[in-house]
Amino acid sequence: MATVPKVDVGTDYKEKYGFFVPEDFVFKAKRGLNPEIVKEISWMKKEPEWMLKFRLRSLEIFRKKPMPNWGADLSVIDFENIFYYLKASDKQSKSWEDLPPDIKATYDRLGVPEAERKFLAGVSAQYESEVVYHSLQEELTKKGVIFTDTDSALRDHPELFKEYFGTVIPPADNKFSALNSAVWSGGSFIYVPKGVRVDIPLQAYFRINAENMGQFERTLIICDEGSFVHYIEGCTAPIYTTDSLHSAVVEIIVKKNARCRYTTIQNWSTNVFNLVTKRAMAYADATMEWVDGNLGSQITMKYPSVYLMEPGAKGDVLSVAFAGKGQHQDAGGKMIHVAPNTTSTITSKSISKGGGRTSYRGHIKMYPDAKNSKSFVKCDALLLDDESRSDTYPYNDVDAENVTLGHEATVSKVSDEQLFYLMSRGITRSEAETMIVNGFIEPFTKELPLEYAVELNRLIQLEMEGSVG
Amino acid sequence: MGFTLEAVEEIASLHGEPDWLRKSRRSAFDAFERLPMPSRIDEEWRRTDVSGLDVARFSQFEHANGSGPRRPTLPKGVIYEPLGVAVQNHPELIRPLLFSQVSADRDRFAALHAAFFTGGTFLYVPDGVVLEEPILGQHFSHQGGTAVLPHTLIVAGRGARFYYLDEYISEGEEAAGYRSGSAEIFLGEGSEVGYVAIQKWGRNAWHLADQRARLEKDSKLRLFNVTLGARFSKTRVEASLVGQGADAELKAIYFASGEQFFDFHTLQDHQVGNTRSDLLFKGALQDVARTVYAGLIRIEKGAARSDAYQANRNLVLSDHAKATSIPMLEIDNNDVRCTHGATVGPVDPQHLFYLRSRGIPEATAKRMIVQGFFGDVLERIPFEQARRLVETELEARLG
Repeated sequence: MATVPKVDVGTDYKEKYGFFVPEDFVFKAKRGLNPEIVKEISWMKKEPEWMLKFRLRSLEIFRKKPMPNWGADLSVIDFENIFYYLKASDKQSKSWEDLPPDIKATYDRLGVPEAERKFLAGVSAQYESEVVYHSLQEELTKKGVIFTDTDSALRDHPELFKEYFGTVIPPADNKFSALNSAVWSGGSFIYVPKGVRVDIPLQAYFRINAENMGQFERTLIICDEGSFVHYIEGCTAPIYTTDSLHSAVVEIIVKKNARCRYTTIQNWSTNVFNLVTKRAMAYADATMEWVDGNLGSQITMKYPSVYLMEPGAKGDVLSVAFAGKGQHQDAGGKMIHVAPNTTSTITSKSISKGGGRTSYRGHIKMYPDAKNSKSFVKCDALLLDDESRSDTYPYNDVDAENVTLGHEATVSKVSDEQLFYLMSRGITRSEAETMIVNGFIEPFTKELPLEYAVELNRLIQLEMEGSVG
Repeated sequence: MGFTLEAVEEIASLHGEPDWLRKSRRSAFDAFERLPMPSRIDEEWRRTDVSGLDVARFSQFEHANGSGPRRPTLPKGVIYEPLGVAVQNHPELIRPLLFSQVSADRDRFAALHAAFFTGGTFLYVPDGVVLEEPILGQHFSHQGGTAVLPHTLIVAGRGARFYYLDEYISEGEEAAGYRSGSAEIFLGEGSEVGYVAIQKWGRNAWHLADQRARLEKDSKLRLFNVTLGARFSKTRVEASLVGQGADAELKAIYFASGEQFFDFHTLQDHQVGNTRSDLLFKGALQDVARTVYAGLIRIEKGAARSDAYQANRNLVLSDHAKATSIPMLEIDNNDVRCTHGATVGPVDPQHLFYLRSRGIPEATAKRMIVQGFFGDVLERIPFEQARRLVETELEARLG
């Protein structure tokens, strides 16, 4: 990994990542949202007619839908003061060397090349609003795996794209999925053919790098029967003075006997509104796993969900949230049991400090057909000081026979006994607290690829150093 | 008589109510007129459908005169009177408290209750007085199509100790009616109150009730709800812990069968530190019954060293019963211990197998399992008399 100076994460992006690359845009749309902007985006991308219609219809839905009246306070978002489309360079780079130098410099600071050298299959790095760099190992292509940015997928794989796009999360699902559907740009598209296992995680870095710029990426993953893929989404962003909006839509289809894991480490700068809709459909005996870490942003509202559509489907959400000063992490998960003999678990770990607020919000729904299904939810919250806040809002609806549903939650502070134990062995208070926090989120860390686990531990350490006297 | 301003005046005149109470009724009536019918867009009512409830149908009062309690012999200083009488005899005690916990503005049904309540009881137990015998308040309905709106106001002085039972009884099956059964309980410093409410209205009734207790320093409340009756029953059970050392135990059992719908909303509001609350709601559902439990533990900023527990357990006995459980936490202080849990599940097949293998018929085995399920919480009913009553009642219904 690249050596990065120790700084307080969340405030010192400039020193940490050296991110202020001068803006150099090929095309810069005007601020605001109206049918003309949407038409312009579609025209710039040379999209087929059906996509333009889809966008315009979505815009109308967005206009009609009210803002959510629950969760975090979103009233400060000014939809008219946002750029809905930016494109950093004209064409896709095929190799690392071809990347524009300033973009490359940014990625260097993030350690992308090292990561790639180590174990990455392909890097699909989103800079501004469009994927500019994209490399795919030959091996993947040979296996028939498609890993590309979503715009290219629309162009190059129109049938596959049209068959699945918007089927898991329709524009009318919620206000922000409608917004994304109207102005989406970039994101990843993955298709794994029948029986193919992709052994190395596929990953993409997402970035926001222009003031007041919206990021509306759209990811679509299709795991055909018996296949496996692990996709990693990691976010870092430089800090800016005005609020940014990130509103992604991630749709995943996991077919019979397939397994998909989607790992996110979200570390947007603390001025970003991160309002994301993530949903997967799991079919017979399929497994969907969301591993979701939320460290950054000012406000995150994100509840990865799994619709268990056929018998034997399994869903997992493992969620970690860390809220520091001025942050509100409203995260959780949803499990919708539609078919018999389906199982799900949600494990949530949240940490609040320095006046931060974490909320777990979850929904377990067992429809009448979901006989003999099981679900278990466990939420643990750690409050590091008396300014911080933690909430738990679990909704459990059981309409099916012979199902078992359990929910447990605890809220506590760092226990005095644990602290005493560690400190009696000569460990300083601050080190001891860091160890306890790292231990607390260990179930999450151990699911991450090594490099991410290391990075996460370091981030927690930095956060803790900033807080404990 | 309808739910009109004239009716408000008539009720007030009938009892010769003082001006302040008339005013309070009038302002509650304003709220009743002003507030919309709750709908499914209100979070609290999303799963609770009142669209079929037309309150105007039930504007005939069954106890316009108020129902009076039986008067046991009580120690000196204890006041136990029908609320309508007590407001004239003891305005200084009642005026500052009545509807101070159960607010009329909360929703249309709370407003209706505050504007038109008739009957109910006032119990005042002065400082240091201990009542050995439980006080039994009974509220009857004799016919369908009517409104029965009793209100209970209980005040415990410093160090007072007593038990109280509110029993809501229908005599036989009757047509639909509107029932409320609200209670406000004030616990003075160091007092101990055991309160039990048994709701067994007829199976066509609409029942909407608000119970709220306010606990001063070192007071201890043991509140127990038993919900068995009504077609539709919505009960809010709330405790505000406002003094250090306050301790609230909120327990309930419910048994929903046929087409019954039960809704419980609970609140454990820890306003100050060193307070404790312990909630356990256990329910069994059969046939096509539906239940909703939604509860919140709120630990406010300064409420350090609070200890709160909340659990909702549902035993689903049939294929078509539906249970919703929403246990919520809002924690604003780190020096606390808060745990909650919820379960929804069927009879454990292993338990059933064990009993069956010993020659017990399935129906009996199931009944034994349900009794066992309720067993541990029944032990927490604060006093013997109420416990026996509940056990008999359950026995009859499970039979």
